[in-house]
Amino acid sequence: MNRKRTFLFGLLASLSVFTSGCWSERQLNEIAMVAAIGIDRTEAGQYEASYQFFNPANIAGGLQGGGGGQSPPVSVYTATGDTIMEVHGNMSRKISREPYYSHTNLVVVSEELAQKDGIGPVLEAFDRGSQFRVTTAVVIAREVKAKDLITTLTALDKVPSQKIMQTLESTEKAMGENINIDLEEIITALVSPGREPMISGFTVKGDPKEGAKQESLQATDLPMTVEANGNAIFKNGKLAGWIDGADARAVLWILDRIQSTTVTTEWEGRKDGISYRLARQKTNVSAEMKNGKPHISVHVHMEGDIGEVIVPVNLKDPKTLEKIERDVGEEVKRNIESSLHYTQKIKADIFGFGEVFHRDEPAEWKKIEKKWEDEIFPNLDVDVTVESYIRRTGLRNNSYLSEMKNK
Amino acid sequence: MENAKISPRQLFVLIILFQLGSSLLIPVGLTAKQDAWLAVLGGMVGGLLLFLLYYKVGSYYPGLVPTEYMAKIWGPFFGKIFAFLYVLYLFYLAARVLRDYGEMLVIFAYPETPLFIVNLLWMVLVVYTVRKGIETLARTGEILFVVVSILALTSLLLLVLNGSIDTKNLQPVLEEGPVTLIKAIGESVFFPFGEIVVFTMIYPYLNQLKKAKRVGLYALLFSGFVLSVTMAVNLSVLGFSLLSRSNFPLLSTIQTINVAEFLERLDVFFMIGVVIGGFFKITIFFYVAVMGATSLFKVKESSHLVFPLGFITLFLSVGIASNFSEHIQEGLDIVPLYLHLPFQVIFPLLLLVSVVLKNRKKQKKQLAMK
Repeated sequence: MNRKRTFLFGLLASLSVFTSGCWSERQLNEIAMVAAIGIDRTEAGQYEASYQFFNPANIAGGLQGGGGGQSPPVSVYTATGDTIMEVHGNMSRKISREPYYSHTNLVVVSEELAQKDGIGPVLEAFDRGSQFRVTTAVVIAREVKAKDLITTLTALDKVPSQKIMQTLESTEKAMGENINIDLEEIITALVSPGREPMISGFTVKGDPKEGAKQESLQATDLPMTVEANGNAIFKNGKLAGWIDGADARAVLWILDRIQSTTVTTEWEGRKDGISYRLARQKTNVSAEMKNGKPHISVHVHMEGDIGEVIVPVNLKDPKTLEKIERDVGEEVKRNIESSLHYTQKIKADIFGFGEVFHRDEPAEWKKIEKKWEDEIFPNLDVDVTVESYIRRTGLRNNSYLSEMKNK
Repeated sequence: MENAKISPRQLFVLIILFQLGSSLLIPVGLTAKQDAWLAVLGGMVGGLLLFLLYYKVGSYYPGLVPTEYMAKIWGPFFGKIFAFLYVLYLFYLAARVLRDYGEMLVIFAYPETPLFIVNLLWMVLVVYTVRKGIETLARTGEILFVVVSILALTSLLLLVLNGSIDTKNLQPVLEEGPVTLIKAIGESVFFPFGEIVVFTMIYPYLNQLKKAKRVGLYALLFSGFVLSVTMAVNLSVLGFSLLSRSNFPLLSTIQTINVAEFLERLDVFFMIGVVIGGFFKITIFFYVAVMGATSLFKVKESSHLVFPLGFITLFLSVGIASNFSEHIQEGLDIVPLYLHLPFQVIFPLLLLVSVVLKNRKKQKKQLAMK
């Protein structure tokens, strides 16, 4: 009996050692949380990674005092290496704590790196590691170093990475000219033979040197701003070109990612005379073989309201509305065709037409899979049809502009 | 055999937790690519047939476990050799599953902890449960089944709310042709459905023996359905390419959840669900192996064997492969062909043929005597 008790006691005592999770414990003051990572390419072809670390005390202090703390909410450290793991190691020479990646929600890759080495090798360590999340957003630093995006401080959102994330999200929702794409989606597009990734670009307007200083935040009109700026198109994992404005929006349209946007159309000779506010849309892409050739059909169905008119229009007349509907549809169709033309020229199927074809015509796909990107896609027949409806005209019917004209 | 009884409902729950255990962790039927979920359904049908086979053999010797009736069918010498092989097979499977779960915990949560320590902790729990007996395990199952169900339904709801389910990823259907699908079905028959063979050691505990057939069939149907839905959800969230690159696809699926900016990083849902499933899978394999050894060597108290055999299983689990990839590769290439096929199909079939022939002889004799 006594022996049994001793045994049980020993067992329990050993359990308390093993199950309490103390094996590889890390105290909060031993880790530094990484908010964002920016990766540049050095002259020698190495990675130069800038880590944006949270300064927890300064973030919390600012919220309470509201006086704009003396030191910035984040600190940036930079290290170089041939691989991301080597960078991680070299980082330990500069920072007293261990980088902790579970809260990293942004990776910035520089334009140069994406062009020269491609984006594929950079992302592998992030995909494999268990601390890193697959939902991390990725953006490309356009015309600036990735480090500039990482160091520039921002107002409203204290943490710069947070600002980039939220800008991306809100601009995709409101305008649809930038794509908010995460690590997992990029990798899926990279490996798919029928699709190439498109990644949002960001840039710093103003002097990045100023942007890195806390004092710059004392102004109401900041000397520098971080802005979404176009989308990078990839081909075989390497940056092949940029797509901006209405063309970029057309890509999101085909991908069925547009949530709301404004389409402007000419009216009686006046450019952008009427603004059409999109309320909802649904885009279907289908593929088939026509006369022995692959054929893609894009069908857009959209509904919206009149958002603004800058010329007198008789909006009470259903016939006029019908004409506006037609014009808006034409405008969207033109946008889509223009972006198609551009991407076909650089042979990058960012629309995922290949995947659609794979789904709809699996037997034919097997035959053309290998030559899709370089031979089929650039000469692909795409049939675009747009159905647009105006449902209502806001709080007013005719604009006061009509009466001003009659005065 | 210990002196215990379990109810049909408890048996139902045990079979489901056992079936879902490692198949939620390790994907099934991937040869069929985006049709894996169909392969799982096909595998389930194969599993139902195997179950009927085991049931038929067992029905000739109600109340006896295979290690006992093998000796009656094939005589004491051959019967015992085969029974011994079965016991080894069960120990090996117990060690395999233990390794699966140990590796999962090390890869995902405890990168710096040695595998041996993680497996040791599993084994402490398993040995304790097996000493307590099948009744305790069955009652635990009833409680934890509710927990697993709640977790599964919540995750599914969140995935739908999140909009991450894209059924386009399931198309095109039957791209690789029926031959590949049949091959994939063949694989999923053995794992996980054919592993129901271990329950032949547990049916005798059922307090209403008549219901064994119905309970087994229903439990297999239910778990096949759940597995197929899980597979379809994994495929439609991740797409085949990412799924095939993931060591634990369900984890990747759950990691995509991000509802309303705060319901995210629900990895713990996966951990709880999978650890519960793993607990039942390892415990049932180990329990059945210990019971087999007990009846084979006529040991009076099965609890005498639990500790030493637990240690053997623990060391076996660490020793069977030198790394995770080797372990998974063995499970996909070697185990189904050289272990599952004979132990799940060939031997039971031989048993059935022998027992039917034997009974016919008996009947003839009885007729002749009259």
